[in-house]
Amino acid sequence: MSAATLDKAPPKAKPRLSPLERSERRLGFILLAPAFLLLAVVVLYPIIELLTTSVRFYHLAQPWMGTPFIGLEHYARALSDERFWESTLNTVLYIVITVPGAVIVGLGLALLANQPFSIKWPVRLGLLLPWALPLVFAGLIFRWFFEYNQGLVNNALGFFGIGPIPWLTNPTFAFAATCIAIVWKTSSFVALVLLAGLQTIPKSLYEAAEIDGAGKWQQFVEITLPMLRPAIVVALIFRTITAIQTFDIPYAMTNGGPGHSTETLAMYIHKTTIDFLDLGYGSALAVLMFIVSVIATTGYLRHTRRDPRKA
Amino acid sequence: MAMALPRFPNKRKMIWLAALIVAANGFLPVLWILLTSVKTETELMRLPITILPAAPTLQNYVRVFTDQPIHLFLWNSFAVAVLSTALCITVSALAAYALVRLRLPAPGLILSVLLAIAMFPLISLVVPLFQTMRSLELLNTWPALILPYAVLSMPVCTMVLVSFFQDIPNDLENAAMIDGCTRVGALWHVVIPLTAPGVFTAAILAFVNCWDEFLLALTLSSRVVKRTLPVGITLYQGEFAFPWPIISAALIVAIVPVSILIAVFQDRVVGGLTSGGMKG
Repeated sequence: MSAATLDKAPPKAKPRLSPLERSERRLGFILLAPAFLLLAVVVLYPIIELLTTSVRFYHLAQPWMGTPFIGLEHYARALSDERFWESTLNTVLYIVITVPGAVIVGLGLALLANQPFSIKWPVRLGLLLPWALPLVFAGLIFRWFFEYNQGLVNNALGFFGIGPIPWLTNPTFAFAATCIAIVWKTSSFVALVLLAGLQTIPKSLYEAAEIDGAGKWQQFVEITLPMLRPAIVVALIFRTITAIQTFDIPYAMTNGGPGHSTETLAMYIHKTTIDFLDLGYGSALAVLMFIVSVIATTGYLRHTRRDPRKA
Repeated sequence: MAMALPRFPNKRKMIWLAALIVAANGFLPVLWILLTSVKTETELMRLPITILPAAPTLQNYVRVFTDQPIHLFLWNSFAVAVLSTALCITVSALAAYALVRLRLPAPGLILSVLLAIAMFPLISLVVPLFQTMRSLELLNTWPALILPYAVLSMPVCTMVLVSFFQDIPNDLENAAMIDGCTRVGALWHVVIPLTAPGVFTAAILAFVNCWDEFLLALTLSSRVVKRTLPVGITLYQGEFAFPWPIISAALIVAIVPVSILIAVFQDRVVGGLTSGGMKG
């Protein structure tokens, strides 16, 4: 399903519309109105508010200052704000590590799940459960896993004589631990998308390859991966869009610490606004974050001009 | 032939191993939380850690309900998710129907615009939504969450519904309209019942989306009695350190309802996710 196929569905409107067609069209706009009204209230009006607040001084803890216009001061402040750059770098690192990570792990899970099982539900539920689990819950669960003394991970490693590792108190390990949690939580959605893709590959292709003497690895590289490309692209795009907004799992596991080593842009915006009550600066950061997300997503979209779902 | 025979049981074993890995990957973390939730605090302090509880107890589950108003968290989560799902399905169904049937100019473009706006990263809107809800005095109320949540699920609902509506033959509605139905009547009496599976699939996806949302709930509804489950459990304050046995019990209480929902409707959920899926 795509926007392009929709355009073909109803016959092209003739320059002169019959009264019936005109009333149908009017009804169409009426039925669209609630959706666009909702979008206006929840998205469009807040965008305007966001832009105007970002160029004003607006601090809830200093109401006597009013909300004077200060131009691009907040943006200038952001550019020389080390914490802004640190959280931007962390966000980019989360994208660069967890998006391919989730796709690789998800591909592995999809290949494992794409077998002729006699009982299907344990496998399918095994993929659905991490997807349905709230991100913060995944964060809490992994925080318990990575606990220094009682955590399952350190105790399991201790069994082999390794560690204990300060998972949540050392900047590098904390970043690794949050990445592991994010990959676990998000790879199952990727696996579901890729599994659906795997099931559309005709069996005859593999049979033909077998006759030609192609090995399993060759079949995977020559048939599975190219046929799966559209599904992988869909997964990459959705995963990237969500990775830019990484918040819940680091919040639940480390609350951005130790120091600011796992703090993402979204977390910094949240802290600036809700904890420090600096709405003006928070808005400017949010605008900058939107720019980052546009750059990141168009980067992917440029790779895939064609509608990936049409395949 | 001689090669193929001994390989057969081996292959079966590999398939079982594959199933085991996928299932374990999904279930083990939750299983570990379940085991933690029936251990006593003293058992959890012991080293080396135990895997199975030495003396299983339900005390943590009792304390989940007495220490914090988790029944309110459950109720807030449930009410907000149901109401926002209903709102989302209603507006998405009307829009999807208009786009599929009603001779709008450039429906594909309208759909793209709608999706592009609805997919605007809500995280950048946290500040102005906080401001707006604050000035409307809607902070810590259900509507503050219901409205944004309806938008959160609008892309997936609209996509799923458009694809289902496209499969309904035009003739059925025409027949209904010849029998005296209006357009909206035909939508309500013919199209919606015929696409009930699609509407239902979209509703489940929207429900899970809302049930899971954290950032907006944390920002717009942080008062204890108005918290949803994710916020309530994450901000759980222990007397000493993080009270892991109680947190685990709370997590199990929160996970069970949605797990049952997706277990019962797993086919629909998988179908909906992979046709119009857009959630990480």
